[in-house]
Amino acid sequence: MSSLTTALAIAQSALRTTGKQTSIVSRNISEAQNPDYTRRIAAVSSTAPGARSISVQRAVDALLFKNNLNAQSAFQAQQTLYDGMERLGLAVNGVENVSSAATMLGKLQEALQTYSSAPSNRNLGQNAVEAARDLVRSLNDGTNAIQSFRGDMDSQIGIAVNQLNDLLGQFKDANTEIVKGTHSGSDVSDALDRRDALLKQISSLVSVSTFTRTDNDMVIMTADGATLFETVPRSVTFNPNAIYSATTSGNAVYVDGVPLAAGAGGNTNAGGKIAGLLQLRDEVGGTMQSQLDEIARGLITAFAETDPSGTLAPQAGLFTWSGGPAIPASGTLVSGLAGTISLNAAFDSAAGGDPSLLRDGGANGVAYKHNTTGAASYSDLLFSYSKNLDAPMAFDPAASNGTTLSLSSFSTNAISWFEGMRSNASTAADAKAALATQTAESLSNLTGVNVDTEMSMLLDLENAYEASARIIQTINDMLRALLDAVR
Amino acid sequence: MKSTFVSTAAVSQALRYSLLRMQSDLTKAAKEATTGRVSDLGLALGARTGYSVSLSRDLDRLKGIVDTNELASSRLSTTQDALTQITTATKNFMSTLITGSSGGTTAAVVLADAESTLKSFNSVLNTSFNGEYLFAGINTDVEPINDFMDPSSPNRVAFDTAFSTYFGFPSSDPQAANITAAQMDGFLTTVVEPQFLGAGWQGTWSNATDEGITSRISLNETAETSVSANEQGLRKLAMAAATVYVAYSSNMSDAARQSVVSHAVSMLGETIANVADLSAKTGIIENRVTNATDRIKLQVDLFQKNILDIEGVDPYEAATRVSQLQQQIETSYALTARMQQLSLVKYLT
Repeated sequence: MSSLTTALAIAQSALRTTGKQTSIVSRNISEAQNPDYTRRIAAVSSTAPGARSISVQRAVDALLFKNNLNAQSAFQAQQTLYDGMERLGLAVNGVENVSSAATMLGKLQEALQTYSSAPSNRNLGQNAVEAARDLVRSLNDGTNAIQSFRGDMDSQIGIAVNQLNDLLGQFKDANTEIVKGTHSGSDVSDALDRRDALLKQISSLVSVSTFTRTDNDMVIMTADGATLFETVPRSVTFNPNAIYSATTSGNAVYVDGVPLAAGAGGNTNAGGKIAGLLQLRDEVGGTMQSQLDEIARGLITAFAETDPSGTLAPQAGLFTWSGGPAIPASGTLVSGLAGTISLNAAFDSAAGGDPSLLRDGGANGVAYKHNTTGAASYSDLLFSYSKNLDAPMAFDPAASNGTTLSLSSFSTNAISWFEGMRSNASTAADAKAALATQTAESLSNLTGVNVDTEMSMLLDLENAYEASARIIQTINDMLRALLDAVR
Repeated sequence: MKSTFVSTAAVSQALRYSLLRMQSDLTKAAKEATTGRVSDLGLALGARTGYSVSLSRDLDRLKGIVDTNELASSRLSTTQDALTQITTATKNFMSTLITGSSGGTTAAVVLADAESTLKSFNSVLNTSFNGEYLFAGINTDVEPINDFMDPSSPNRVAFDTAFSTYFGFPSSDPQAANITAAQMDGFLTTVVEPQFLGAGWQGTWSNATDEGITSRISLNETAETSVSANEQGLRKLAMAAATVYVAYSSNMSDAARQSVVSHAVSMLGETIANVADLSAKTGIIENRVTNATDRIKLQVDLFQKNILDIEGVDPYEAATRVSQLQQQIETSYALTARMQQLSLVKYLT
């Protein structure tokens, strides 16, 4: 008699176990397409004879998960850098560099050559002045484009920092639930999934490293070593700056009081979107601006009017600036000069000036006049301007574009600098995208769900369930037969 | 055999990334096949992009110089024509003077020839080309030679004043008949020569500058591409024609006229030599300009070839790439569809 009851109890236990396993399988199947879901494994262990207990395990691979986090954050930074550079390059240099300072400078040289072949023709002088105006416009527009780009990057950094703080807040909830649940021994799989998903999002913003303490308590550090989360989220602060000028230097992002390092190089060493945005705002935007500023300074110097007798100091000629008529100091960067360079009104017929001053000199008074007799076909001064553009001059090393070279080469080198970096960024973005995809796929293979496997397990469970049910039915029949006999 | 676990999500996403890459490659290849150039110059050349920009810029500058050299060349050949005309006029005038001095022609013929020589001297040297006076040096917006025939013109006034000062009466005065050959000689060497060959020329006869038009004929080479009306040979022609004209339009004695003519003949001889020299120099510069243009055209070809080497792609290769990518993408579509069909669920009833 007692053995029949035992058999019934075992069969009931088996039914319960099968039911629980089925629920895990069905959960796995329903989450098959969720990339943040980690496959649950029902671990069945025998306790007393015939009795089974089920514990839920997650298919985790901590190392691969970390690899994937790093790959994701490196890819995010690289992609941010590449996208930003593509936008910036188009805004400043135009499609295929048509509106770049280098191209405009070439047009000015051409116009000077044409004018010098027939200096008596006032229209050709006007044409040269118009070419100069286009060049000024390219520099002014380039400065505006760079600065509004920097402002845009700044506001994106602000958004990303808010996102990060928000994610850290959610991370705290998940982490607390895990710590409590682990301590009390309950199933915290869902909370673990949620925490991993949050960590993925955090690492796409900033490069992180993590370690786990007792009771599954996780600590997040940035790659630089600043603490991002430890029991409670640490504050990430950033003071956004709405309006940028060439002299504005952007504010840093502080993680727990430590400034977050910006990335460097075309194949950037940055991890996470924020470091990429910082690099775009400061390194890329800043260097490009200082190169434009140096081109502007070179132009003012190359077209400066000289005193033919050599006593008076050279003064600003065709191109002038806010500090004019003095010319800027040699070899020293003047921040924001590309934004303030302008066409000298004395040469501009639209502003009541005279383009033939370009041929004769003397915009700064008769002492600066080279063509003293007013000869109509005087071309020496025009030649000297073209020559100045091709003669080596000193540039500030801060523009990281060479220190002694001609203005003409400096302007094309600036394009080389930018496109070299963009090309590196593109190649690196491809490589990092491939790595991120690869690690994500491996991780998905290790921790994801295979529906076919789950279905076949479901078949097994169905059979087990049927068998257990049949046993219960049989025992029921046996018991009924016994009771019928007694009746 | 060990089989590795594969998740359903990985299976369904396996082709997604490579498909994306292939599609972006396809748009690039299609663009390259149609344009024959790399689709994104900056990405293809990287740090060499500046080189390509500088090449195309220099190419445009060189083409500009070829155009401006055309201008210089035509100025030079117009100058050559003008110099030939000057030589012809000089030779004709000289033969008239020589036959006239041996009594072969009348004084009226000599006078008429002096006048026509002066006129053609004026009209040739005042030739304008492309809105610029050809022989004006760099002062190309002012007629280089004043008209001696005009009594109020500065050169005529200066000559008449000098004559009156030296002899005490104007050339039209009847006393001119009393001027001796020696007196005339003295006048010619001490007064007239400085006026034409010395400082008296500039401003009274000529408004031209000594400095000619300088043209840049290659990226780093300049040449003087005009001839100034201040050249000694031209001055001597003017002197010969003007003195003969004055001598034959007044009633001077034959002796005085003879002195003027012999002076004039020697001046004209020097003019012919000097103009031939100018013509040779002009020819040399013409040649330099032509050579520079030829060199630049070679450079232009070379630069164009360089640019093509740097930026060009083989359109056939690009077209082949397009069709390959199309095939691959189609295969990938078919595979994706097949893989989506693969599910155990379909076989469970």
